[in-house]
Amino acid sequence: MSTLVGGVALEHPVMNASGTCDPIAAAAAGVALHADLAAIVTKTVTPLAREGNEPPRLAEAPAGLLNSIGLANPGIEGFLAQALPQIAALGRPVVVSVGAFERGEYVDLVRALDGAGGIVALELNVSCPNVSSGCISIGTDAAETRDVVAACRGATRLPLWVKLPPGAPDIAGVARAAAQGGADALVLTNTLRGAAIDRRTGRPLLGGVTGGLSGPALRPVALACVLACRAATSLPIVGVGGITSGPEAWGYLAAGACAVQVGTALFGDPRAAGRIRDELDQLIPPPKLSTTG
Amino acid sequence: MRASVLSVEPLGPFSLVTLGGVDSGAAGRFHMVRACDSDSVIGRPLSAIGPAEGGARFVLASSGGGLAPLLRVGAQAEVQGPFGRGFDLAAAGRRPLLVGGGFGVALLAGAARELPGATLLAGFRDAGQALAAGLVPAASSEVIVDGDLLGALGRALASATGVLAAGPDGLVRAVAARVSEAGLACQVALEAPMACGYGSCHGCAVRLDGRLQRLCIEGPVVDARRLAAA
Repeated sequence: MSTLVGGVALEHPVMNASGTCDPIAAAAAGVALHADLAAIVTKTVTPLAREGNEPPRLAEAPAGLLNSIGLANPGIEGFLAQALPQIAALGRPVVVSVGAFERGEYVDLVRALDGAGGIVALELNVSCPNVSSGCISIGTDAAETRDVVAACRGATRLPLWVKLPPGAPDIAGVARAAAQGGADALVLTNTLRGAAIDRRTGRPLLGGVTGGLSGPALRPVALACVLACRAATSLPIVGVGGITSGPEAWGYLAAGACAVQVGTALFGDPRAAGRIRDELDQLIPPPKLSTTG
Repeated sequence: MRASVLSVEPLGPFSLVTLGGVDSGAAGRFHMVRACDSDSVIGRPLSAIGPAEGGARFVLASSGGGLAPLLRVGAQAEVQGPFGRGFDLAAAGRRPLLVGGGFGVALLAGAARELPGATLLAGFRDAGQALAAGLVPAASSEVIVDGDLLGALGRALASATGVLAAGPDGLVRAVAARVSEAGLACQVALEAPMACGYGSCHGCAVRLDGRLQRLCIEGPVVDARRLAAA
């Protein structure tokens, strides 16, 4: 089942979610994560290297997972010099996720990536809940989202996919603003901010105090975002949130997505993307499957 | 891979669980194990005690925690691995000392099999937990129940050429500091929450060499000097 997402042709509709696949580290550990992915979506790259949040960074939640990673990454310079060439050499289409803290930084990032080999699209992360400024505060604000996307649109020829936060008070409005700014597709959604309390100490369990909720617990929320944005814009939509099976991916396609991303399920089962792709192939395509770009 | 529980044997407050078809891996490495019959979305890092008939044997708390569904013969697990860096057995010298606490002591079983001259020093909260010491086939053992493990460590170091340690985080860090003071080589198996075990989630960060690094790649066994630099 091939598909088209904002000008990007994909062999099938299943990718990884940003931050859930380091194909180089995985391969070194004997796990060939990338082979089953229609495209490799990188961990979010920021202007400068980030160590990430203090541990603990993970806490299980009912049917879900809280993470407080905090955008740990080598920064755009290290990414371009070391990570990207290795990832591109795997031979899969590469979608680079970028995140920043103000508009000018997003522009600098997309400009730096324009023309780099192997990249088929950029995913603007304006929705990370695990940093103290920028990012999610942009993606919850329609005007700011429009301006960031428009500024990036002028700085690159690459397709721009915009990843929005599920907690945006008016996500349909933000989606329309992204379209006005020149987005080529929407990615719905990022994790939902949550917290856990350590029963021994009574204090927040995560080093970053709050984290992002992913996994099946997020799926109904993300599906509602897809439905809301499908009704609000004609942009292609990539559905992401709690997908563990082909029928669940099918649900996103039925809700109006043309592709999906799998995240937390890859942690427990590195073959999940291939399994979901195969299960999806066995299902009759949903009536409203969009393949327009 | 999908693995079946072949056997479940009680051992005091613990359960010994054999997972069919699983390679136990080198001493100190770990697997990610997830119970299929649960709503848990991620596996848990577990080091095998060693090979068993038809697979590899693991020790779980009898309550099982998130792995409770695996305390039943025939239950299904999703198992990945073995992953990570285990013990460098050659670096422990001719008279290695294995130091452990709680059911983490089981992680030393593989090292004891490979190091026939090893001595085990293990500390436990109670006599039931102390049954876990029997999982480690060391040439000689000192088992301390509700006592001063670090004091005993000071005495044991006099005749040791190197130390391998496993157990609760506070314990292994204290052991690392004490052994380093004595000027001996020390390797410690650290614990951290993990979601994937293969370098993708960045959830298992620990401070090594003064910066946060992924334990699933750098460890779980690390040279104690890397902690001191933190």
